[in-house]
Amino acid sequence: MGLLENKFNDNVIVAKLDKLMSWSRSTSPWFFQFGLACCAIEMMAAAASRHDLMRIGMIPRSSPRQADVMIVAGTVTMKMALRVKKLFEQMADPKYVVAMGSCATSGGPYWQHGYHVLKGVDIVVPVDVYVPGCPPRPEALIEGLLKLQEQILQERPLTRKIG
Amino acid sequence: MSKEREKLISDAVEKAIAGDMDAINNIEDRVVRSKAKAALAKAKRLQKDGSSPDADLSGSDVPTVSNAPSENPNRMFGDRINQKFPGSLDGDLKDTHIQLKPDQWNDIAIWLKTEDDMLFDSLQCITGMDMGEDILEARYNLHSMKYRFAIEIRIAIPKNKAEIPSIEQVWRIGDWFERETYDMYGISFSGHTDLRRILLPDDWEGWPLRKDYEVQETYHGIVVPKVKEGWE
Repeated sequence: MGLLENKFNDNVIVAKLDKLMSWSRSTSPWFFQFGLACCAIEMMAAAASRHDLMRIGMIPRSSPRQADVMIVAGTVTMKMALRVKKLFEQMADPKYVVAMGSCATSGGPYWQHGYHVLKGVDIVVPVDVYVPGCPPRPEALIEGLLKLQEQILQERPLTRKIG
Repeated sequence: MSKEREKLISDAVEKAIAGDMDAINNIEDRVVRSKAKAALAKAKRLQKDGSSPDADLSGSDVPTVSNAPSENPNRMFGDRINQKFPGSLDGDLKDTHIQLKPDQWNDIAIWLKTEDDMLFDSLQCITGMDMGEDILEARYNLHSMKYRFAIEIRIAIPKNKAEIPSIEQVWRIGDWFERETYDMYGISFSGHTDLRRILLPDDWEGWPLRKDYEVQETYHGIVVPKVKEGWE
């Protein structure tokens, strides 16, 4: 079945627990489907069969408590900003945020004169990956998510940070 | 459709209008025959009603109104409102709208909706306007489904006493329209049963679409105006 099947004798495989943990985290970051505007359509397209986010291990979850990644897809109004913050706080550690589209990264078309729009979701929550575009195509979103996976893979959750 | 078929149909219709119905009935192709019949019905209707673009819409069962269709509905109904409610008009009659004073607006609205020969049963929109010089205005687009009249009612009020009688209980769609106008312009509709902001959060400060609106600095500790410099 697998590539590794029948390749080894009775042996002990030695790996760093640190690396194993970050590898397993990076390959299944379930995302919180959080569509706010037109970007949500592209996010749905990315999750649907043609682009199929599930092949990189990403499954949409409807509850923040089951999710590792929040994809903020769309325009965040001031009214919603408080909810975004609250939802982010409800997610369990480790948690990551992807700002999808111009609106979530900088306010987009509303960034100067839109009195009701948050000028970038990074004002209320820490953002790990920004995906530009208005809206970005599914390929762009997938690239952003792969970048996020690379970033998670570099983490060493057990190692004590020096300095 | 080919040229020959079109010619066949137009010939047959001309003959039928002249009195020879057999010209259409003798067409062998069933599709062409039915098309010719439809064209005949349309031609007859155009002949009867003149060539107004609404002619296609009006069937024979719709009751006609005594006033000539060329008369402007805003002038016509403005005049009738003035007769029924003297002193309610604000200024002269105009082609584009009916300018009313706010005092009797609720009674006028009920009358416009229920009077048998108008039946303005559809409130299509309420638009708020900041006219400058401390004047706010609400504009109501009314439509009569039965008689197909469309009129526009405008009510102007001073900014420091922005109050208009509510028509929420007359046209129920007016509930959200009035809430939206209140949200954006701060016009309070007296008599509305649930006048809250509809789009912005309840604790937002100010009325965004007024000309003198200034954005608040923070909302729950979040900076509202743009903070990222150097992006332009």
